[in-house]
This record gives sequence, structure tokens and C-alpha cells, in this order.
Amino acid sequence: MRHLICFGNELHGDDGFGPAVFRRLAVMDIPKEWRLFDAGNRGLDTLALFEACEEVILVDAAAPAGHPGRLSQPLPEVIKEESALPGHGAGVGYLLKALNSLNGQPPLLRIITAEMSSLTPFQPELSAPVAEAIDETVALLCDWMAEGKDG
Amino acid sequence: MTRLEVNLELNRVEGDLTIGVTLEDGVVVDARTVGSLYRGFEQILMGRSPRDAMVITPRVCGICGTAHLYSAVLALEQAWNLPVPPNATRIRNLCLMAEGIQNDLRQSFLFFTPDFCHTRYRDHPLYDKLMADFEPFKGVMHRETLLMTRRVLEIVAHFGGQWPHSSYMLPGGVVTPPDARKILACRSVLDEIGAWYEKRIIGASVDEWLALDSAKDLFTWLEKPGPADSALGLMSQFTRSLDMHRLGAGTPHMISFGAWCDPVSWGPPYNTHLSPSGFYDGDTRQLSSLDQGLINEHVRHSWFRPYTGGLHPFEGETVPDYQPGTDRYTWAKAPRYGDKVVQTGPLAELFISGDTLIRDLHDSEGSSAWLRQFARVRRTAVELVRAREMLDELAANLGEPHYISSSPDAEVDGQGCGLVMAARGALGHWVKIKDGVVEKYQIVTPTAWNASPRDSNGELGHWERSLIGLRVQDPDDPIEVGHLIRSHDPCLVCTVHFLETGKRVRFAP
Repeated sequence: MRHLICFGNELHGDDGFGPAVFRRLAVMDIPKEWRLFDAGNRGLDTLALFEACEEVILVDAAAPAGHPGRLSQPLPEVIKEESALPGHGAGVGYLLKALNSLNGQPPLLRIITAEMSSLTPFQPELSAPVAEAIDETVALLCDWMAEGKDG
Repeated sequence: MTRLEVNLELNRVEGDLTIGVTLEDGVVVDARTVGSLYRGFEQILMGRSPRDAMVITPRVCGICGTAHLYSAVLALEQAWNLPVPPNATRIRNLCLMAEGIQNDLRQSFLFFTPDFCHTRYRDHPLYDKLMADFEPFKGVMHRETLLMTRRVLEIVAHFGGQWPHSSYMLPGGVVTPPDARKILACRSVLDEIGAWYEKRIIGASVDEWLALDSAKDLFTWLEKPGPADSALGLMSQFTRSLDMHRLGAGTPHMISFGAWCDPVSWGPPYNTHLSPSGFYDGDTRQLSSLDQGLINEHVRHSWFRPYTGGLHPFEGETVPDYQPGTDRYTWAKAPRYGDKVVQTGPLAELFISGDTLIRDLHDSEGSSAWLRQFARVRRTAVELVRAREMLDELAANLGEPHYISSSPDAEVDGQGCGLVMAARGALGHWVKIKDGVVEKYQIVTPTAWNASPRDSNGELGHWERSLIGLRVQDPDDPIEVGHLIRSHDPCLVCTVHFLETGKRVRFAP
């Protein structure tokens, strides 16, 4: 199996990018060997989703850095452990470090992020640049999932 | 004399928490715990169907959602005077124990012991061992705890479908019956965790460890090969070398709501537990029965609509009223037992339930940061044994009901409270139902007890008090404060999540 895992909290503005992508994909026909997950704001609890699968795609929002809506494909090793931490101190950065520290063969991992416009806690709704990035993200993910199917 | 004010933001703590301490000549003379995010679960529940609490309140916390679900369902069962079949209580207890094991192990080896790898201790004789065991993502204990705590939660998934935020309990029982497959799978998990606990954490058998009943025997035992080389042995040697068995006492009073409802006898008046509830008065050194009627919450130093004195949770309110620039400083209330500031957690649970080793250690050395953490490791063994008992009892009673349906007429207006011992201590939900909907709902969490601010009488909360007198070597890096606070297993709230690029972001009001 292959897992596509979307992270984020849609109650916090652009942090809802991952869940928005999940909702789009959830109503589409995707290759049957792929499973979709909306992981919300969980961190360490999602370790199980990295087991018993050969490939994982992770979708999340990235911190604001002046280019709202810009898509990036960071390598797992450049994702830093959180300093202000959610989920009992275990966000996605912590999760990836934990995954890397465990014995055994981790799945292939690809990450796609959309850069947030700003931090807007408790203000649902994506900013325009991030909302516009969803189409391109979904198209890219469909390509990636098709690649997985072929090879 | 130099006077410094230091605000320490703790990472590896769930949610937004700031500890403000005032130093005079390097010694803490004042402390304030600031919970910096308003939650509002009580307000969300008002006007809703009472059963909504079983979906909404497990979302209070990503670590102890089972405990919140358990409290919520107990409160409704008390309000509606419902019977509960023994197998339902066994399943509820089993899942609460699994969640407790998860928390106690993560707290100990993912959050408490990593601080021992601080560079300040690099000249300590135990430093190499500390790094080998406790270094984040590299040390044996850190890596294996990541795996084992994920594994133990499979028990909740077998009966609850998911963890965290599960909603598998309902008034009158649970949603799924036990069967041989689930019991076999859960036994396998417990076997694996138990063997690992014995090998890595205590270096001995659980039976031998739980049979220790005096401080003298404990310290002799900790010198033996096996225990001496275990994670518990290393943690104890190091923390005691830092004098943490003499630091961080806090309030002398303790409270436990009683661990795990007794499956056979649970029902009206809902007060029988496998490990008894109670209150320990640290001034008179007397234990007394728990009287939940004495619980009250103050908001004199909190950002809530002011009222005078303390209110019992049935009469309580949680109306936000942010007042910057005043002497109010937190979104946490100040729960009190009568007029007493109390602490709760594994130490209180084991002490009040009669663990003779814990009582002897407390009698000889008093409450401390080390004893709180030591009790947390010991409770894991109790949970492992009790969980096995729950599975054995389920296996012996497979055909018994897991749910007793009741007439809609039973869902009357009234009030009820659900009290459990969550991983971090005493957790209570209080609900008042009027015209078929929630009129009032109050939640008092373990961290509310421990991290409370000053009350109407100006009495410091337990954490705040535990810091007074602590000597801090480096105000720019007050790691001693971190040790003490983490020994309380702090939990406030979750916060905004996103992938960081290195920028530090906080969301304080």
C-alpha cells in the first residue's frame, strides 16, 4: 500500500491547506493502491501510518516566508523539529525525526508544502494565494500517485 | 542583591505554557504559571444534547482523550442513574490503562529524561550512560519508547476503533463486545510491553518490583545488577545526584479520584474503585474519604468573568474575560479542595491507594520531583498488572453484555459528575441538564489542579509553590526549572500546527 497523508488544522487559516487538499482528493478516483488520510494536527500518533506501506506522500502547510502559496518539495531531512510544539511536543518535524530513528526500512517519502500567507489562529478559510495553490497541488499529487502505480 | 525576572517557555510540553519566575541572588522567590490559550469546551457544550459530550470532550486532549470520554460518560450515567454491565467497565478500564501506560512512558522517556542530555551535565560521571539511554532519537530508551507507546495504543484501537479522540463509550456501556480475537491481540501487546518494561526499565520482574515495600529495600535493590543498570536505576541515580529528591515538594496535600471503577460493583451510587479515592491532608498527615462537594474553583487571578471566592463545578462558569495589564495572568482556573491547594498524579494515586513503598518514601523524604517521576514509572507496572486482570476477566465472561439499553425516558433532567484518574491525575466532568440539553458543563483537569494560579486567598498553585526556593545556576538557561515542571507531567493545550522553517512562533494572547 501507499499512503497520502494530509496534515493541518482548518480552523487556523492557511494551516488548513492539507485538509483542503484531502477534501478534493477524497471525491476523486485515485489509484486503488493509495489510501488517503486526514491527519489533522496529530504528530507522533501518525507513526503507524508510515508502517506497512512502501511509499508515503505528506501534504502540509509551510511557515510564511514572503511567497504565499508557493509550493515546495522539501526533503525530509530539512524539516526542523518544532520549537513551539503541538501534540505533546510532537509535530511533523518531530515525527519525521522519530521515523528516521527507528530500525527497519522506512517508506519512500515525498513532501509537498504550500507556504502560508500569514499565521491566523482561529480564523477559518484559506488566503487567496494558498487556495489557488490547491489545483496545482492536486494535479501534481495525481501525477505522483500515477507514477507509483506504474512503477 | 540582584533581582531578575525570567520567562521560560517550555517545549516538549503539550500546548502553550509559560513559567515566569523571579530570582533573587539566583534563587526563585516568586513564580507564575501562565496558561496562554483559552479552550472554551464548557461553553461549546452549553445548549447541546448531553450525548454530544462524548464526541466533543475527547478532543480536549490528544494524550488523555480516553479519560475525558470516560469522565463524560460517567457523568451522564450518574445523572440518569443508569446501570453499567461489568464487561463495559472492564473494557473502559483496559483502554484507560493502555492510555496511561502510553502517557507514563512518553512522559518519562520522551519528555523528562531528554533534559539529562543537556551539555551542562557533560562532566557528570553518568553522562555517557545518560546519552546512550536518553538522547533524543538516538538513545535506546528514547527510540524504543517511540515504538512501544505506539504499540500499546493498539489496545484502544481494538475496542475504540481509533486513538486519540475516540467515542466508543456511551451511557450504559461500550459500542463493541469483547471477543477472543481482540483479547488475544491485546494480550500479545501487553506481553510485548511487559517484557520490554522488565528488561529495559526496571531490570527485574514486575512481581519483584511491586513486592518492594520499603525505602530501605528499594535502595538496596537499586544497587543490584539489573535494576542498577536499568532506565529506572539510571534516572534515580542521576536525579538524586542533583538533589531532586529534596526539591520541588509543592503543596503537601494530595487528591485522588480513585483509579478504575470496580467492574463488578459499579453502579449507583458510583463510588467503588479498584484503587480507592481519597484526600491526604499534608498538615495533619491524615487520609480521608473523598468528598467531591468540597471541590471549588477560583478565578481571582484568571482571565474569566470575576466572581467571589470559589464555586463548586455544578455552579461554576467559564466565561472568558481577558484583562491584560491586571494581576490576572492565566487561562487556567484555581481548583481547590475546601481551601486546600492540592497536587494530583501518580504519586497521589499510589500514596492514597496504599502503596507501601511510595508511602515509606514519602514519609522518609517527602514529596519531591524525583518521587513524582519515580511514582510514574511504578504506576506503569500497576497498570500492566491491572490490564492483564481486565483481559482475564473479559475472557472468563465473554458472553456477558457490553451494553444495557435504556428507555429514552431515563434521560431526565438532573446533574451528575464523572470522576476518574487520568494519566496525569484527578479528572472530573460535571454536567447539569435542563430541558433535555446541557445547562452547565464544567471540566477540572489534572493540570488545572497542579498548574493552578493563585486563588482568592492569594495561595500559590502547586507548581508555583514547588519552584519557590529553587536555586537557578544560569538564568539564561534555567534547566532546573524545566526538571521540576516536567516532573509534574504538564499538559495544557495543543496549538497551531505547521511545518517550521526554523522560525520560533508563539501564539500568546
